[in-house]
Amino acid sequence: MTKNEKKSFNQSLAEWKLFIYNPTTREFLGRTAKSWGLILLFYLVFYGFLAALFTFTMWVMLQTLNDEVPKYRDQIPSPGLMVFPKPVTALEYTFSVSDPSSYEGYVKDLTKFLKSYSVEEQNNLRACPDGVLFEQKGPVYAACQFPLALLQECNGIDDPDFGYSKGKPCILVKMNRIIGLKPEGDPRIECVPKDKNIATVETYPNLGVIDLKYFPYYGKKLHVGYLQPLVAVQVVFGSNNTRNEVTVECKIDGSPNLKNENDRDKFLGRVVFKITARA
Amino acid sequence: MGFGGKKRIGRPRERTPSPRPRRRFKAKSQQKVKRKKKTRDLEELKKEVVMDDHKLSLEELSAKYSVDLKTGHSPEKAKEILLRDGPNTLTPPATTPEWVKFCKQMFGGFSLLLWTGAILCFLAYGIQLYSKQEPPKDNLYLGIVLSIVVIITGCFSYYQEAKSSKIMESFKNMVPQVDNSSLTGESEPQSRSPEFTHENPLETRNICFFSTNCVEGTALGVAIATGDATVMGRIASLTSGLVVGKTPIATEIEHFIHLITMVAVFLGVTFFGLSLLLGYDWLEAVIFLIGIIVANVPEGLLATVTVCLTLTAKRMARKNCLVKNLEAVETLGSTSTICSDKTGTLTQNRMTVAHLWFDKNVHEADTSERQSGDTFAKDSDTWFILAQIAGLCNRADFKAHQETLPIAQRETTGDASESALLKFIEQSYSSVKEMREKNPKVAEIPFNSTNKYQLSIHLREDSSQGHVLLMKGAPERILELCSTFFLNGQEYPMDDEMKTSFQKAYLELGGMGERVLGFCFCNLPSSFSKGYQFNTDEINFPMDNLCFVGLISMIDPPRAAVPHAVSKCRSAGIKVIMVTGDHPITAKAIAKGVGIISEGSETVEDIAARLNIPASQVDIRNVTAIVVHGSELKNLNSEQLDEILRKHTEIVFARTSPQQKLIIVEGCQRLGAIVAVTGDGVNDSPALKKADIGIAMGITGSDVSKQAADMILLDDNFASIVTGVEEGRLIFDNLKKSIAYTLTSNIPEITPFLLFIILSIPLPLGTITILCIDLGTDMVPAISLAYEAAESDIMKRHPRDPKTDNLVNHRLIGMAYGQIGMIQALAGFFTYFVILAENGFKPFDLLGIRLNWDNRFLNDLEDSYGQQWTFEQRKVVEFTCQTAFFVSIVIVQWADLIICKTRRNSVFQQGMNHKCSSQKQGSDIRDPGGDTPGSFPVLHSRHGPGPANVSTQVSEKGIQAGILRAQGEHVRGSERKGVFEQDSHQLGAAG
Repeated sequence: MTKNEKKSFNQSLAEWKLFIYNPTTREFLGRTAKSWGLILLFYLVFYGFLAALFTFTMWVMLQTLNDEVPKYRDQIPSPGLMVFPKPVTALEYTFSVSDPSSYEGYVKDLTKFLKSYSVEEQNNLRACPDGVLFEQKGPVYAACQFPLALLQECNGIDDPDFGYSKGKPCILVKMNRIIGLKPEGDPRIECVPKDKNIATVETYPNLGVIDLKYFPYYGKKLHVGYLQPLVAVQVVFGSNNTRNEVTVECKIDGSPNLKNENDRDKFLGRVVFKITARA
Repeated sequence: MGFGGKKRIGRPRERTPSPRPRRRFKAKSQQKVKRKKKTRDLEELKKEVVMDDHKLSLEELSAKYSVDLKTGHSPEKAKEILLRDGPNTLTPPATTPEWVKFCKQMFGGFSLLLWTGAILCFLAYGIQLYSKQEPPKDNLYLGIVLSIVVIITGCFSYYQEAKSSKIMESFKNMVPQVDNSSLTGESEPQSRSPEFTHENPLETRNICFFSTNCVEGTALGVAIATGDATVMGRIASLTSGLVVGKTPIATEIEHFIHLITMVAVFLGVTFFGLSLLLGYDWLEAVIFLIGIIVANVPEGLLATVTVCLTLTAKRMARKNCLVKNLEAVETLGSTSTICSDKTGTLTQNRMTVAHLWFDKNVHEADTSERQSGDTFAKDSDTWFILAQIAGLCNRADFKAHQETLPIAQRETTGDASESALLKFIEQSYSSVKEMREKNPKVAEIPFNSTNKYQLSIHLREDSSQGHVLLMKGAPERILELCSTFFLNGQEYPMDDEMKTSFQKAYLELGGMGERVLGFCFCNLPSSFSKGYQFNTDEINFPMDNLCFVGLISMIDPPRAAVPHAVSKCRSAGIKVIMVTGDHPITAKAIAKGVGIISEGSETVEDIAARLNIPASQVDIRNVTAIVVHGSELKNLNSEQLDEILRKHTEIVFARTSPQQKLIIVEGCQRLGAIVAVTGDGVNDSPALKKADIGIAMGITGSDVSKQAADMILLDDNFASIVTGVEEGRLIFDNLKKSIAYTLTSNIPEITPFLLFIILSIPLPLGTITILCIDLGTDMVPAISLAYEAAESDIMKRHPRDPKTDNLVNHRLIGMAYGQIGMIQALAGFFTYFVILAENGFKPFDLLGIRLNWDNRFLNDLEDSYGQQWTFEQRKVVEFTCQTAFFVSIVIVQWADLIICKTRRNSVFQQGMNHKCSSQKQGSDIRDPGGDTPGSFPVLHSRHGPGPANVSTQVSEKGIQAGILRAQGEHVRGSERKGVFEQDSHQLGAAG
């Protein structure tokens, strides 16, 4: 029985060899050169045609799109909330006050991010009236200034380390941009630490107010230079433990059309992050 | 070579290493016969029973077995022999335990791949559960769904298989209940006597066989073999020992599974590695692997195939082909050789008067199934006398209460020839009953093989009070007793001219394979007037100088539908071989009658006779037909047999034994043919099992043969096989379409995963969605293709070559994967890109977005318009895309269904009808009245003692369950070849 199998193995090996190249019929992998050429030609033409067809349909589809506003905006009725800088994994910040290299990354990210908010950059932006929606008719859409001074201690000018070296780290919280979103009421971002004994939280501008003048947003193409409003959160640890850990929860408040509670989407109008600071 | 040779080598099944009784093939060799090689054993089983015990005298026998003929063995000796040879039972074949079979189904085919997928799913879920507080449940659900799919398909297949593997059980349950018929094919009880009467142990009178039953009488004998050493044991172990090759469709499906599995594993592993390289963690890579596996495996396909086969099986059952083993449905379609029985399958299994010879003329009688008579000169006085003799000198009689039936279908008592005569006279002349009442029988000598005639003396009808002596029998014997002959109502003295013309007629009729009987009569002189006591033992009346009247010849005529069916087979490229136990002349005559030997072709002997040269000088290159005698076959080695099978297109094997049938089947298979075999006796069961498709006879077949067969012909009609072939070929074509259809959607299922990994775009199609397509939306359309009508006359095609003409070939894959699948994938991707673009993510911004897109903590992903999306928000868009992708696959599959509906014709030629409404052809070749669905008429009752016949009914329920088998007890027809053989010998076809 084993003998049989062995034989059939050898046989199949020979068959394979013959399949790969058959010298009598000059077939390579079961086809002659001409046959291969023809089939490759066929598929070349066929796939070429398919690719052309696909490209054409895609091109037609792109022609139907409006460059300024997407066709459907019903998938994002309400903005999400996000923090900056974004830690590498999850939303957990870890740094050591005594070791600048541990927060160097965060500081760099923040500086870079706030570069577009610098005074020079904001020169040609408009100073808009506070407290009201800044609706425009076009064709040119102006962006409103967001003076960095509003961020007070976290503006990066007074303290280029954003408080990390003092054990009072700043974290920016921002609301996602959504074209045409007009918040109602007085939206502000409220941040609360889980345990007030460990740390307290300061928000700048005061009370975490988001001014309505930054809304509505008209899209990347029309609204050149748009600066989204920021809220800085400064975590101030109360004790002098060598290791402090606090979870902070921020959410949009004061606006009835900005949702902040969704079972599925944990970032819709809210964000939770954790800060671990070592001495 | 690989295909044909490898799988079909007969090998005995592995046996459990328990001590098994030694067997003695030759009772002569008392020494231990060690089973050195199992193969050799089986080869030996295939040979004829070699035995010479029946040639020995009782004394020799007693010496040989050292047994006292009066007292038997002593208890000690008996115990010793029992210890040595084991009990007198058949060794049951080593059966695979049920759980092993179950596991095979559970872990065979695609199951293994899917199990891998499921386990990976659970594993991934487990790790997520461990590492995260709230892991997504997707993997858990997917794992559960996959497991359920595998378990259900596994159970389904197991159920199918379990129903069709019961061959040995019928041997196991074999309490001695049958007479010799199961062994030799004879249905008459036979007398036994101590004399050695025949060289062949099966035919000698001094041997009784295991599993045969004593009908009456007592006897004392010496047991010469027990258990597996008996003739029945040999057949049983031969049958169970045969390793049957896989059915062609199983091979095809296996080939296809290998192909798909290889693709799946290759892609899976490649992309597993690739995704690891691309920076995914291994858990995610595992999830991709699952996706690729699930996308590659056509989960619903095997179930679809089963359903398609079941549908065809149902359709075939309606046409009198009951399929036991589902896969056999297709086998019949790829059949390239049919080895058919003669009796009952090709013929009507009913002796019928075919020719008459009187007044020096041959007259033809009507042999069609619906006899009308009235074809010859009936005004001759000779016919009147001939009819009288045939009706009166005849022991057959109609059974009671059948007046309403047509004469041809009435049941009779008496042997086949006499019944044929009885029916013929009743039909063409007048009521035999009245005739017998008018001419009461006063004396009779029944037929026996020594005197070869039958004689009866009747009171004459006219008032002369005289007696008339009527006689029929072997023509040459009758002629010897005659001194005058009857011609046109006048008696003439016998002359040479008459004798010559008699010889001519006799040869002519005999040459047609017919059984010829001679008839003569004599009006007894007045000295034997009424009241004379005739003594048939010491004959006290004249029995010579009779008056010769004529000859009547009979044949079991071919079924009306068979010649057409055979020619259909021929045009379908199927070789029809007749294998019969019958005499070569009869076999050849029938073969010519039904077209197995076609009109123009001649055998060596024919040519020799025509050219008047010795047979050895005939140029054998031109010979396509051959009649092989069983005794010649015995001396052929396999090369010679192959030579015969290869060289001749028209072959008849006559006088063959059941073992030879097996050899013929194997020979055909060696040449790469897919062989269908018909058979009805227990002795046929090895050949039935060995054949690629064994076809048992529903009416005359024994239970064991039905068990060994894959298919049962409910009407015993060869023509039904042809409809089966047609259905089988159709289902092969339709399965191809079904598979092409199902495989196509694999490409739009796989490409999303591949592009997801390569282009780093959001996943366009999820795993669960893939399952929805494979098991949901693709299943029903795929099954519907089983109803597709044939595109051309499939019976004009040659049978497919199992080596090259595969179910799934590169062309099919090329079309499904390379062409249609690609178009479908493009359609899906277009939909996907449209949805994303209209929601804000333009195609070019999507490339490379994957890592961010799938980052749960990145909740401000910017789209092409500057908007920012949370993870959940973009996932909702992603799922919308997947739904759209899914819907677009479903829609393009509608188009694919229409593409796959036809292979050569256009849809407009083919129409949108399905088979049931468009099929008209194919049903016309069966004989009318034979297609009663689900049941069949009970053939003639048997005559003489023996088991009563039982009607067989096939329940529709059995068909619906998917597995088809005849229910109820077996029925045995009354007229069997065994009886014919003897008669035709005795009565003169040999002359």
